[in-house]
Amino acid sequence: MSEIGNIPVTTGNDKKRSNPLANVFDELIRFCQARSMFMLHYCTGCGAIELPPAMTSRFDMERLGIQPMVTPRQADILLVTGYVSVKTLKRVILTYEQMQSPKYVIGICSCTVNGGMYWQSYATAKILNEYMPVDVYIAGCMPRPEAVISGLRRLMGNIENGKANGWKDYYQRYDYYLGNQQHLFGDDWQTPTDIIGEANFYDLKGDETCGEHTKILEQHQVPLEPLPMQIKF
Amino acid sequence: MRPENYQAVSLPCSNEYELFIGPNHPGIEGNYAFKLKLDGDRVLSGKADAGYLHRGFEKLMEGRLWIQNLAIVPRICVPDPVPMEVVYSLSVEAIENTEVPERAQWIRVMQLELSRVASHLFTFGGHAATTGMYTPSFWGVADRDLALDLFEELTGGRVYHIYNIPGGVRRDIPDGFLDRLSQYLDYLESRQNDYDNLLFTNLVFVKRARDIGCLNQENALEWGVTGPNLRATGLAFDVRRDDPYLIYDKLDFDIPVQTAGDCLARILVRRDELFQSVRILRQIIKHLPSVKGPVRTPIPNPLAWNVKAGESYSRVESSKGELAYYTVSDGGDMPYRVHVRGPSSMHAVQVLENMSVGERIEDIAQIMFSLDACPPEVDR
Repeated sequence: MSEIGNIPVTTGNDKKRSNPLANVFDELIRFCQARSMFMLHYCTGCGAIELPPAMTSRFDMERLGIQPMVTPRQADILLVTGYVSVKTLKRVILTYEQMQSPKYVIGICSCTVNGGMYWQSYATAKILNEYMPVDVYIAGCMPRPEAVISGLRRLMGNIENGKANGWKDYYQRYDYYLGNQQHLFGDDWQTPTDIIGEANFYDLKGDETCGEHTKILEQHQVPLEPLPMQIKF
Repeated sequence: MRPENYQAVSLPCSNEYELFIGPNHPGIEGNYAFKLKLDGDRVLSGKADAGYLHRGFEKLMEGRLWIQNLAIVPRICVPDPVPMEVVYSLSVEAIENTEVPERAQWIRVMQLELSRVASHLFTFGGHAATTGMYTPSFWGVADRDLALDLFEELTGGRVYHIYNIPGGVRRDIPDGFLDRLSQYLDYLESRQNDYDNLLFTNLVFVKRARDIGCLNQENALEWGVTGPNLRATGLAFDVRRDDPYLIYDKLDFDIPVQTAGDCLARILVRRDELFQSVRILRQIIKHLPSVKGPVRTPIPNPLAWNVKAGESYSRVESSKGELAYYTVSDGGDMPYRVHVRGPSSMHAVQVLENMSVGERIEDIAQIMFSLDACPPEVDR
């Protein structure tokens, strides 16, 4: 338990709470989370073409409470649909770090698993799990809408059982993920988000949160520039 | 991003600002970005920022066998993958001087037109959604799904059906396929009135789309515009009629033309083209049973297939415009160089940049969708 001001904050660590009523309450929260997943409207690759059929009147994801959402701050699931080139991966990581916890990542198509048929390519990032924690993979090139929906059902089950803990992993092992990102983008890679501060907030800062790679980050980190404001009088 | 990290600074008064649309934006088709410089809500200049989908496609093809390349070819344009397979097969056949059996040619044209129907239905939905109308996009995707069912029956895949190979197609059509295709066409024609009432003659849509993103014929020819976007400026040029490939010279179809050159003209050309495709498919249903013969000429062992040295430039009319492959073979088992001339690489970059100047910010998404560009084709 940590405190912000004098408001106690429940931790993300899965300790059984002593009050049985609190357990029931936690289950209720997880039940609600699993039934209103908003997914981010970001078409990263060719797998995005099977999302409109899965969302619209034939296969209809909305009956499961899954809706497309336009901003990362309102979304719960990040769908990485297909190959991510290095240029896209920077945006995907920035988008992922802007989302509110708890957040989940689904890797759709074979390209996110091991590079798919672009494993020889010089421009794509091969294994998505090295750069961000993936909760569910859906293989296929490209998977049918039924497969997409079945993967989302799997994620719903995992959320209800408290098994979908990818976002906690990102805070706890941030140094590993940052190391892989730096390997790909260079040592001066940074996003304007503050992951270590957030890990402190959720009380998830572990042994592997900070390490050699976060030290490199601190060396290069420049404070944000003042935001220019233009007002017409 | 914590609030204590930044502080406001005042600058001299100005109406000008920069806006970055995409790549994570619902008004952008696919993974693509567009930087705008605005004065109030008028666009002063736009800069396209592509390359998010670049996977070194042309380089990848140089490292794979001729037959292996068939698997990655359809990934270039996702909503309309069949022309990619066909034009790659055509370019290999042109180097090898292979004779394609007539039945295979008819089946190829059937696939091309069915794919055009699917792609246009998808485009209507996207275009209407940018003006806030979501019903056409639900209808369009649902009707497209029926076409994908037919593809699945024919080829086994919904979107990526690696069905055409150099020398013909993989296998013959299944029993009763033409009946089911005919039923689908009946259904599409019965929907024509509904689509017209909902979208193409709907005043809410027409008033938004008219006089937006105008393109004149002179500029269109200069900038390399092809396909429906060129036909919307009043020039009836179509590769299917003017440089016929496969069996298009035996078919009877019109080339829809509009003269206004704005967003409305572009979508109306696509609407007419959809029903011309239905007309072509009807002729194919009538003629295909009487064309007998094999569906492919045998090729040598594909794992050790050395295509003759030579080069070829083959083009087809895809639903986006003129699609061409420039293929060079040095006599080896892999291509020496393959260049893809995607129509969208002109539409999405220089045409969009020039066209968006002076438009209002709420129309940018509509202009982008009306050009029907396909970002993977730009990046390859």
